[in-house]
Order: sequence, then C-alpha cells, then structure tokens
Amino acid sequence: MTLLAVDDLTVSYGRLTALRGVTLRIAEGEVLFVTGPNGAGKSTLLNAIAGVVPAGSGSITMDGAKVTGAPPENIARRGFSLVPEGRNVFGALSIEENLKVGVGMRADRHKIAGDLESVYAEFPMLADRRHTPAGMLSGGQQQMLVIGRALMTAPRIMAIDEPSLGLAPKIIDQVYEILVRLRAQRKLTLLIVEQSSTRAMMTGGRMILIRGGRIVLEGAATDLIKDERLKQAYFGFGDH
Amino acid sequence: MTAVLQIIFDALSLGSLYALGALGIALIFGVMRLVNFAHGDFIAFCVFAMLWPSIDATAVVFVGLLPFYLLIPLLLIIGAALSILSEIIVFRRFRNTNPATMMIASFALGFVIRHVLLMFYSSRPKSITLWPSLGLPVDFLGAHIPMLQVVTIVITLAALAVLVLFLKRTRYGLEMRAAAENFTMARMLGVRANGVILLAFAISGMLAAAIGLILATISGTADINMGANVMLIAFIATVIGGLGSVPGAVAGGFIIGAASVVFQATLPHDARVFRDAFVYGAVIVVLLVRPQGLFAPKSAKQRV
Amino acid sequence: MSKRPSVIRQTILTPIVLIVVLLLMAALTYQFGSRAFNRTAVEMFINIMVVVGLYVFVGNSGLLSFGHISFMCIGAYMTAWLAIPPVMKSITLKGLPTWLLHTQLPMWVATPISGVFAALFALVVGRVIMRLSGIAASIATFGLLGVVNNVYSNWDSVTGGQGSIVGIPPTMNVWIGWLGAAIAIVIAYLYATSRSGLALRATRDESIAASASGIDIVRERLTAFVVSAFIIGIAGALYAHFLSIVNPGAFYLRTTFITLSMLVVGGMYSLSGAVTGVVAISVLIELFRNLEKGVSLGALKVALPNGAQEIAIGIITIVILMYLPTGLTRNREFSWRGWPVLGRWSRPAPTAVKELN
Repeated sequence: MTLLAVDDLTVSYGRLTALRGVTLRIAEGEVLFVTGPNGAGKSTLLNAIAGVVPAGSGSITMDGAKVTGAPPENIARRGFSLVPEGRNVFGALSIEENLKVGVGMRADRHKIAGDLESVYAEFPMLADRRHTPAGMLSGGQQQMLVIGRALMTAPRIMAIDEPSLGLAPKIIDQVYEILVRLRAQRKLTLLIVEQSSTRAMMTGGRMILIRGGRIVLEGAATDLIKDERLKQAYFGFGDH
Repeated sequence: MTAVLQIIFDALSLGSLYALGALGIALIFGVMRLVNFAHGDFIAFCVFAMLWPSIDATAVVFVGLLPFYLLIPLLLIIGAALSILSEIIVFRRFRNTNPATMMIASFALGFVIRHVLLMFYSSRPKSITLWPSLGLPVDFLGAHIPMLQVVTIVITLAALAVLVLFLKRTRYGLEMRAAAENFTMARMLGVRANGVILLAFAISGMLAAAIGLILATISGTADINMGANVMLIAFIATVIGGLGSVPGAVAGGFIIGAASVVFQATLPHDARVFRDAFVYGAVIVVLLVRPQGLFAPKSAKQRV
Repeated sequence: MSKRPSVIRQTILTPIVLIVVLLLMAALTYQFGSRAFNRTAVEMFINIMVVVGLYVFVGNSGLLSFGHISFMCIGAYMTAWLAIPPVMKSITLKGLPTWLLHTQLPMWVATPISGVFAALFALVVGRVIMRLSGIAASIATFGLLGVVNNVYSNWDSVTGGQGSIVGIPPTMNVWIGWLGAAIAIVIAYLYATSRSGLALRATRDESIAASASGIDIVRERLTAFVVSAFIIGIAGALYAHFLSIVNPGAFYLRTTFITLSMLVVGGMYSLSGAVTGVVAISVLIELFRNLEKGVSLGALKVALPNGAQEIAIGIITIVILMYLPTGLTRNREFSWRGWPVLGRWSRPAPTAVKELN
C-alpha cells in the first residue's frame, strides 16, 4: 500500500528552482534511498514533504490524504518524522526532554513509557545520561538522540537527511546498523537521503538518484550501485 | 543591620517586579523573536482596566472594588485576553519577518493602546487605593517592612515558582522551551506553532496584569507611564540575562533591582534622581564585558 | 576611490529632485499658506531633518535605533543654553557654568554648535553601543533614550527639570526649515555614497561576507551614528528656535515613534523613502488635527476625539508594515526619469544609494 506519494513536485527558492517535477511513491515498510550530488535537491525534497519548504506546484499525499501546503506540525501528526540535516538537538534540554518533545501529539498515551524504555534499550548510552543537556553530546551521540527522538513520535515514515554528515566512518556504520535493525524490528518505513550511495548496500530497498532537481535513475539499490550509469549521473558527462 | 535588612527587602521586591517584567518579554521573544514594545502598555492597560473610563481627576474605581479573589483572576484574564488578541490581530502576520519590523509593529501597537487609554482616561495620574491594610508595617528582625513589600515578594516568588514548574514539569512547558530553542524542529515533532505562541502571549499578558496590580497597589496611582518604565528596565534585564534565556531574564531582573536599590542607598543625595542613568551605565559596562549577556544560551550564538 | 565619481553621476539626481520638490513646497507655503500652515510646514521640514538623520543610521546599518531622539533633545537644550538671553538664563538655569550663562549666540552659530555637541555625545556613547549586535543594540538605544530623558528631566538647575524653559528667540521660518532639510539631505546623500556608507550597507546586506572582506563593522556603524546624531542635533536646535521653548517630554516616546513611523512608512532603506514618509505622515497628522477640531458636514459638526491622530498613525503604520513592508517607495530612490510622471516610480538605481551588494 502506498504510504507517501509525491506527484510532479516543483520547489523554488526565489529564482532558483531546486526541484522540477519529482514523482515518487513509498510503500508501507519500504526503504527508499535518495542519493545525488551536492545541491541536487535532496534536502529540499525532504523539507517540502515535511512542510517546512512550500511546494511551488505538484502534490504530496500521505495515506491517501493530500498534505500539500499543510503546516509541518500537521504533517508530523500524520506520521511523517523528519530527522533533518545537522541533527538539531535541543541543546539546552536534557536527553530525556528531547525524547519527550514529540510525544505530545500521540494518541496512544499508554505506550509512551514503554517506548521510552525501548529507545533507551536501543541506545544505552542515552539512558546513562538521560538528565544531561543534549548540547553536551558528541556528534555521533546526537545522531542517535535524534533518531531516538523521531522514534518516540511513533512515526509511520521516518526520513533521515544525511545521517552520516560529519561523523567518523565507524560511527556511521553504527548508525546504519541501528537503522537496519530498527527496520527489521519495527517494520519501519524509511526514507534516507545521502550524498554518497555506498551505504545503500546496507539498507537495501529501492534507490533513486536526483540530479539538478530531477530524478535521473531509479531501481533496486543493489542493482543500481553496480550500474555504470550511477557514476555517470554523479559526475556528469558534458550535460549540465 | 536593620538598614542592610531594609536594603535587602527593597532589592528583593523591586527585583522580583523587574523579573516578572523581564519574563513576560523573554517568553515571547523565545517563541517568536519578537521584542514586545507593547508590553509596557499592556501593563498600563491592566491598571486602567480597574477604573471606570473617565477623564476626571478623581478616579472612579470600578473593577477594582471587587474582592481580591475575584479581582485578581479577572485582571489576569484581561491581561491574557489583550495579549492574545494582539497576537491574533497583529503579530501573527509578522511571524516570518525580521526582528526590526516586528519591533516597530509592536511599538506601533503599544502607541495605539496608549493613546486609546489616554482618550478614555486622560493623561492625569489618578489615585487608586487597593487594599489599604497592606500599607501597615510589620516588624522583621528589628526592621519595619511594609506588609505590602512582603506580600509583593511572596507573590512574585510564588508566580516565578509556578512558572518554572510549568516550564519544567508540564508537556506544554517542554514544548515551549523546545520551540524557543528551535521553532522549526519543534514543529516537525508535532508541536503546534499557534498553540505555543498563543500560550506564551497569554502567560506574558498575565504577567503584565500581575505587574499592573502590584504597581497600582504600591504607588496608589494609575499613571499612563508606569508600564513604560518597568518595560524599559525589563528589556535591559533580558539583554543582561542573555536574550532568549528564561532563567537569565529572571536573574537579570533581580540584578537590576538590586543595583537600583544599592545605587539609591549609596549615591549622594543630589545624584539620586539620576539613579536610573547610573543603572543603565552599569548595564552598559556589563554588556561591554559580556556582549551576549550573562546567561546567553548556546543557541543564541550566531552560526555562520 | 576611483569609483566615486561614477556613483555620484548615477545617483546625484535623487537629492536634487528631493531638494527641488521641497523648495517648491516651501515656496507655495510661503506664498499661499496661512500662519498656521506655515508652522505646519516648518514642523515638517524639521521632521524631515530628523528622519533623514535617522535614515543615515538605520537605513545604512540596518540596525533599528530608538535612541536618536535623545540627540534631538541634546541639540535643543544646547541651543537653549546658548541662545536664551543671559538675563533670563541667570534666573531659570542657575546651575550653568558662568561662561555659558554670559554668552548669547545667534541662531546660525548656536545651531551648528548644537549639532557638533550631539555628534560628540554620539561618538562617546556610540563606541559602546555599536559593539552590541542587532537586537541588543536596538534595546541599548532604547536605554539611551531613557537615560537622556532621565537626566534632562531631573537636572533642575541646568535643564529646568520637567518644566519648560522659555526664551529661545523664535527665529524659524519656512525658508530656514527648507535649508535645514536640504542640508540634511545633502549630508545623508554624501554619507550614503561615501566609502563608509557603501561599506556599511554591505554589512547590512551581507554582514559575514562584509566582515570577511575586511570591513570594520563597529567603526562604520559609529561613523553613521555620529553623522546621524549631527543632523538630528541640528534639527533639535532648529526645533528649539521654532517653539522657543524646550521641555524633555517633547523628546521622548511620542516623537521617537512618530519619526520611526515616518521612516518605515516611506521605506527604511532609502533617502527618498525617508522624505516621502515624513511628507505622507505630516499630511495625515494635519488632516486628523483638523478632524479633531471638527468639520462641518452640512448642519452637523463632526469632531474626532483627541488622540484619534495618534491612534490612526499607529494603525496606519501597522497596516503599512503588513502589506508594504518596504514602505511607500519600496526602498527605491527617485530619479529624474521617474519623477515628472505622476505616480510612476523610477526603477531602482542600479548602484549606490539603494543597495550595493
């Protein structure tokens, strides 16, 4: 069943067009890996779905309901949880408070305590320091925290923008291991944006490549990684 | 010894008043980066709301005649309502504009409220007596402290405590603190922008009403300028405390209150009328040493 | 700076257009206006000086200032000290130093001295305030307004305290008003096209890039602050000569708000905007002043209550901020081609006075 549908989405910042007619579908339980060079429009795609950046034209549908132009909090309440680029922890709030910011919108109140424990079980490092201000954490720990924070909203789709940005390779591996495990455990639908496509091997699923605001390639991640066209699309041959 | 005690009490009562003012400004600044220049006029509005509109010199106390258990909640509601209305009618349309535009808009709104009050009540200060029994002194360790001062301190500290508990212990308080730090991220976690902002305005309006009540009781007058003076000091307090920091605003309020009282007590007699100028001078020295304020949150630093 | 001549050639028409239009207004007022209308016109010219002075700082730096009216206060009181006949001063202002008590200077000497005094004051306080960033700086300027008002309202022996001091020779007329406005426009224009003005606007639009290219923000801001204080100090001096009395209440929140409104309504970032805003709001004030006095509609006389003027200006400012955030001129400048055609604005000047990124 299609959970998220983006149709012919165009987004512009003033005179600069960041997305031109992007169409994609994400089914429940699926992993979609979005990749492409710097400035291709990947983050814009996520921000437009999240309602942070207004769509110029086209439509975004979640669970059959049109959400184009809806404010970010309403989209979050429909189950779309975005972990934005650069992590964005609430530095002055404690770890536990960070985890709890997003639970206010949940209808299933009785499950919150249990979910908190399971997030702590997933990230024991967070449990140990639950009363520490989040600003004191390292980059890798903050990445874990924001993933945990997104999980606490009980999302139907979790979107992550550049989870590997600014992290050491070892930490990146950890982050992806956790994502893969979460997906297996919770049947989480994932939308991952990365500049580098190599991690798509770990997550599997489908992969699309965006360049210049358009989808230029689409296919199974494992096939696409080996495809020569991926490299060509990345580095470009003449066309611009 | 009793002189010192007197100074401490003065500092506490003045400081707590300034802290309430600074809080009202810091809360709104936190959620929408608005420096609310209308806050002083909110305070004046709440004071004048106790009087029957009339341009005569003798004030007709109207709402102010109610018993305190009705007057206080009613005035808090008036303050909150005025504040919420100004958000809905005016500030909502300035949400995504730059701070300078918002400042002028709030200045304009304050100007309108001020002149509406002047139209109905004229510019003459009016005397207003609430609870005369509070003027009686009580003895405390040999010092004569007016009952009112004790009540002011107790009420302010209680209000501060309630607010801190609200911010620290409730879901809405948590959402408000999160929104103050990163509004967009909070919204992406389902925090309703309108809800948080309206709540901040409501609390700020109630704080303005509380200040109005305390000022009217202390001074026994209703004066159109009384709000502006507190507001000016409250601004300075939020800057000293670090713009955007709620505990910083409270601390800044107490520091300025203490500084004012100490200057009042130690300056030579002729210079006392310039007390405020000395206080501002001291503030500027503080800002030179710490331009971000004493308790600036990390997030206030400009990122490149 | 080899660029300067070309900057001037492209933009020189703006101040000329403004000054010529104001000259026309002055001439018409002098020829046809009543005594009361002449006073309104003088007040407008003084406001043009204040708002143009405000523009020099706010428009070029992008920082909002609530404190500039204190320079008007300082200029006006300096003029009072210098221009009131010694006989009167020795009664009302006993605390003045003897040499000042015994001087009496004519307007054309007292006015520039007052401007310089305000500028020197700005130089001292500006060194501190200009170091603060955006909002903190704006609040500090508000504090400045409070300090100056506090001192001038309470230093009874020197300023006469809350009351008014009288006896300044009332030598203002519409021509001097025009001259003052013209001088303010020329200074503002010269500053805006100067090296410092260009650098400061660069910091306004791209502060990080500007400081990376070696612009000393604090110094450029301070320069603009001092220049604007000079203009506004002169305006205060002329205002004292206009009213012939001074009083600290005249230089506080109301004037601060009205002048800021004028700047915002016209367009904060342009010299033409500053002047347009003053003219527009002055017309409104005059209109409401008459409405408050009462208008006859057939048999019935309708009058707005006192204070309607201020309320209307406040509301209009808010509405303009909502729907025309860049003001009536959209922050553009007049030039020769745009002006003669009524109601048609010129394209923004390609360089200089508007913006230079």
